[in-house]
Order: sequence, then C-alpha cells, then structure tokens
Amino acid sequence: MEAVAIQLFDGTIRGLIYVAIALSLTIIFGMLRLVNFAHGAFFAVGAYVALLLAPKIGYYASIPAALIVLAILALLLDRIVLRLFYAKDPTSQILVTFGIALVIQESLRLIFGGTTQTTQMPASLMQSIPLGFISYPAIRLFVAVSIIVLVGVVWWILVGTNYGLIVRAGIRDRTMVALLGGNVTVASRVVLVVGAGIAGLVGALSSPIFGVDPNVGFSFLVPAFVVVVIGGLGSFWGAVIAGIFIGILQGLTTLVMPAASDVVIYLAMALILLVRPQGLMGESELIRQA
Amino acid sequence: MSDRFSKASRGKFVAGAVAVAAAAKYSSINVIAAPTKELVVGINVPLTGPYSDQGADQLRAYRLAIEEINAHGGVMGMMLKESLGDDETKAPTAVANAERMIDRDGAVMITGGSSTGTAVAVSAKCQQKNTIFMATLTHGDETTDSGCHKVTFRRYNNAHMSAQAMAKTLLTKYGTGTWFHITADYSWGWSVRDNIRAVVEPKGAKTAKVVLLPLGTTDFSSALSQAQAAKPDVLVITEFGKDMVNCLNQAAQFGLTKSCKILVPLADEYMAKGTGDNFAGVVTTAPYYYKHYYDKNPLSKKFIDAFRAKYGVPPSNGAECAYMDIYLWKGAVERAGSPSAAGVVSKLEGFKFTATKEPNEYWRTWDHQGINSCMVLEGVPISERGGDVFAYAKVLEIHPGDAISIPESTSKCKLDATV
Repeated sequence: MEAVAIQLFDGTIRGLIYVAIALSLTIIFGMLRLVNFAHGAFFAVGAYVALLLAPKIGYYASIPAALIVLAILALLLDRIVLRLFYAKDPTSQILVTFGIALVIQESLRLIFGGTTQTTQMPASLMQSIPLGFISYPAIRLFVAVSIIVLVGVVWWILVGTNYGLIVRAGIRDRTMVALLGGNVTVASRVVLVVGAGIAGLVGALSSPIFGVDPNVGFSFLVPAFVVVVIGGLGSFWGAVIAGIFIGILQGLTTLVMPAASDVVIYLAMALILLVRPQGLMGESELIRQA
Repeated sequence: MSDRFSKASRGKFVAGAVAVAAAAKYSSINVIAAPTKELVVGINVPLTGPYSDQGADQLRAYRLAIEEINAHGGVMGMMLKESLGDDETKAPTAVANAERMIDRDGAVMITGGSSTGTAVAVSAKCQQKNTIFMATLTHGDETTDSGCHKVTFRRYNNAHMSAQAMAKTLLTKYGTGTWFHITADYSWGWSVRDNIRAVVEPKGAKTAKVVLLPLGTTDFSSALSQAQAAKPDVLVITEFGKDMVNCLNQAAQFGLTKSCKILVPLADEYMAKGTGDNFAGVVTTAPYYYKHYYDKNPLSKKFIDAFRAKYGVPPSNGAECAYMDIYLWKGAVERAGSPSAAGVVSKLEGFKFTATKEPNEYWRTWDHQGINSCMVLEGVPISERGGDVFAYAKVLEIHPGDAISIPESTSKCKLDATV
C-alpha cells in the first residue's frame, strides 16, 4: 500500500511537468491553430539558458531569464517564419515547426555538443525532504510548487483579465472577435510568446533533474501531445487533469510492469478517445465561462 | 469551439502526436560512394539517442584510424572510405544502415554498435550478406554467445567478464545484503543483471527487486522511489550512456548515493563526466582506461596523443576499441591478401596480437570473442581528477581475459559452418 501511495505522489509530481508543457501547447493550438512541434526545442533552449546562467546569476534567477529568452526567440520566429504559416494547412505547419525544431536542436548540438550536462542548483535543493512515507528530492518539490503557481497565474490571466477574455473568445471564434474590434493578431502573438516562454521556463526549472542535452525536450513533447489529446483540445483543466493522470499512470505501471511505462500512455489515449472522442473535457470550460 | 473545428483539430493533434513519435526515427546519413581502388568501411554508430556520446566518440576514433591508414598508403594500396549511418540505438535502423552500406556502397566490413541490441541484429544481417562485422561497443554476452556468427568479432569485454572480474570486489566492498536493480530492458541489461546475480546470490545476497525500464528513459523517479522504499544495501544501475547519467544523478537527488552503495557494472569516460561527483566511490568495469594505459603501452600513448591532438579530449574505452578494430581488420586483410570475408575470418580466428593494452590478446576460434583484460575501477570526485573531468577513476584490479571469460563448456555459441 505504501508503494502505491509513493507512486501516486511521485506520479503527480511528474504529471505536473506534463501539465505545464501541455498547457502552453493547448493554448497556442487553440488560439493560433498551430501544431507546434518546436515546443520540445523551446524546452531544450530553456534548459541551456539555465545551464549557462546558473553558475553566473544562480539557478533561481536563470528561470525567469529562460522565459525572457524564449519569449524573444518566439517573437523572432513569429516575425520571420511562423506568421507565414498560420493560415496554411496543417501539413505545412507540421513541416515548418518540425524544421524549426531540427534547426534549434542541431544548432545546440553544434554549439554545446551532444553530451548530457547538469545545471548547478543551490545546496538547499540538493537534499531530499522526509515526508513520512517517502524522502523526496527537494528539487522535484520545488519544480512541482513552481508549476502549481504557474498554472494558477495562467488561469488567472485567462479568466481574470480583459486580455484573457480576448484569448478565450479567440479560441472559440477568431473572426467574431476581430469583427467586434478585438486585436486577434496581437493576442495570438502574445499567446505564442507566453507559450514558448512557459516551455523555456519549465525546461530551465527541470534542468537539474533531467540533465541538459539537445534532445531533452523531445522526451516531454510526445507525452505532452498525448496529454493535450486526452484532456481535450483547448481545455485548460483537461490538460491539468490529463497531465496528472498520465504521470500517475506511468508511476503505477512502473510498479507492476515497468517495461510498459512508455507504452501505457498511448494505450490510455486510445481507450479514452474510443469512449470520449472529444477527450476528457473536450468542450472547454474556458469557453463555457465566457 | 465548433464541431467542425473540434473534429479537424482533434485529427490534426492526434496526427501530430503520431508524427512526433515517428519523428524519433529521423536519422542523419552521410555516404561516400566507393570508387575503384577504394575499400568502403561501414561505420554504424548512434549519433542520436541515449548512447550518442559513445557513438560520437567511436566515430572520432574510426576517422582517426582511417586517416592514419590512408596517410600510410591505405590497405594493400587501396584507400579506406567510410559509409556512415546513425543507428539511433535501434536495431531496425542499424540493420537498414548495414544493408545500405553493403548493397549500395559496397562496404566490405561493417563496424560499430553501442548496444548489444543493435550489434546482434547487425551481426545476423552481416552473416546473411557474407560481410565482416567488427562489433565494437557491445557488452552483452549474446553478441559472441547465443547470437554469435562466423563473420562477427567482438574485442570489447562482455557482461560475463565484467561480473567475474568484479566478483571479489562485489563481495568484499558491497557485501551480501539486499540488492535492488534498475536495469535497461533489452539484451544487454538482462545479460548484466543475470551475470551479477549469478555471482552474488550464491554467496547469500538477496535481490529485493529488478525494475526493467525502456531504453531512453528520462525520468527514473518511479524506480528510484521504489528503491528508496526497499532500503537496499546496494543499488545496481545497469543503464548506459545518457540513461545512466540521468539515473545516477537522480538517485543522488533521492539521497540514495548516501543511503546505499551504488554499482554501475559498465561505464565510460562520458558517463563519469556527466555524473561528476555522484560517481565518486561507484565501482564499475571497463575494458580500457586511457589514464592507466597511457604510460604502460607505447601504442596506447601514440593513440591517446593523436586523439587528443585531433579532438582535444582523451579517448573513451569505446573509442579505443573502435580504433583498434580498424587496425585489426586491416592486418587480417593484408595477411589474407584480400578483403573477402572468408579470408579475413581465417586470419582473425586464433590470431594473437599486442595492441593498446597488455600483451598477447587473441581472438577465440569458437566464438570470436576477443580475449583481453577487464579493469575494475572506482570513481573519484571531480576534485581528484586533476583538472581533467575524464580522469574519472582509480584502478582497483585488472583481470586477465582468460580467467574471466565464458568457458566453451557453458557457451551457447554455435558458429555458422561457413562464411
């Protein structure tokens, strides 16, 4: 029983990382209709920002720095490449964002090499914290708490601000928002910038745990896509619930059949889509509240 | 969100998720066609994926050897050319690469492999294609045991040799308490796990649990939290490359490097660099360690100096094996007077030589395992590496290959009757 409790706890913590990436993916997709394959590369760039800056300005300060760097990178990509593809068919979007991901990954490999490196972190995060039933790494607890705060901030922006209102309305019907005078173009750009910033921030946050190499984001991109599909496209809380569900499912699978811990998420996706093709919360509660 | 958009979007996203998974297969391919009076060598190493550090270092060594050989007139007057493939540590990709190298590029020898899974698959393909396979970084027994082939030669130590070499240290340093295994779920991981258990369990060690995890696992917390709950005396991390780096670093975050002894049955310079101080005190094995052999073997010194001069870093143990495999194959071709597989096999079987390690290495005739020493090493912290992060260990023991190899009486190898 204790083993199950440990996996429930550990799975929840891991699931929160999926949540953060899936949340930014789903918002970008909802607002821009863009399947962003470059999201894993954004995660990796964030990890490298932390790797480089942590020895100079400290691990904590490197996290917002990663957000800023990724926001600037996304803005540049938007102006140079992405804006040309928002109205294109999905295949073109997939190809261009996948191409961007490859360019970023190979550039990182060229500059930093392919070796796995580890971000320096404060001594206070290098210990494990006794929680009664488990002694858990302080760094993972810090990442989890940071993501909970991040999710709260994103939710507050979406439901508590006029800007969030435009984004929620834009997810539902961009044309109508534009006809009513809402600046959808600017809102879309901001969503892309914030979404990329979140990916970079999570990459920086988790870099002391998972190491830093050019492909580090890819291993989170696939589960994040699964989380978005299971949660329901455009659904904020769907992504949150599905992310934690997938994290726990992987943890419990590791307990009974570890070799299936990767495959089980695809099985879960297939089963859920068979029962609920729209995902767990396919009709966005954001829209219902609008 | 309209129904129409929802359906289209869902399809788009599901397609996207599938495409991302499929994208993991993309590979970089670099081919140089073979003109007349050239011999094409197929280099099949992982340049992406969890073993990419090891693959990249082997590639450096292959290129250094080819450059040196060509600078001295090639092999019987024929220049060596490479046909390169990224096997991604995936057997189907490795086999497809080997097939392309042989059929399209005319490769007369295939070499590489940073995984027993890929090596065994490529070995079978090379046997079918009647092409020599110099297996480099493959440590699972299978390559020269149940999966052996007439065309395949492996000089790298295997899991049986590592376990036998460590036997004394395992019992004196690690004891016979409770052992918890985190193991890569493929032939190499199984092979190492079985060999370690075969050494320690008869002496009284108890195995609490074996957690098998897929190759390329990034987050080991599920397994590590189980290990923490089991309160083992020894945690055995049978992972390699980036997987081992992540696993050991995360084990340290769980406090396991302090609460129990850590054993990593096989490591190299890049893994030790990636784990830094967490590797201090960890016992491991390796077939070669540049720091040890630098002033003990003149060829080693020449090789290490040339490697450092060209690349700015010392060679890893996989790189040493890659470098020597090219030279050993070249020697066999010259002795046979032909690069034909039959000729090369006949000149390698039973051949005795002195390379970059101790004198009198040889290839066994009945399984094509290279017989040479196995080192037992203990990791040292960064502060004791003298400014060289690759200088990762002190040597505990060096065992002669004959004493620790799988005996013919228990071997499962049945070599093919013909080349």
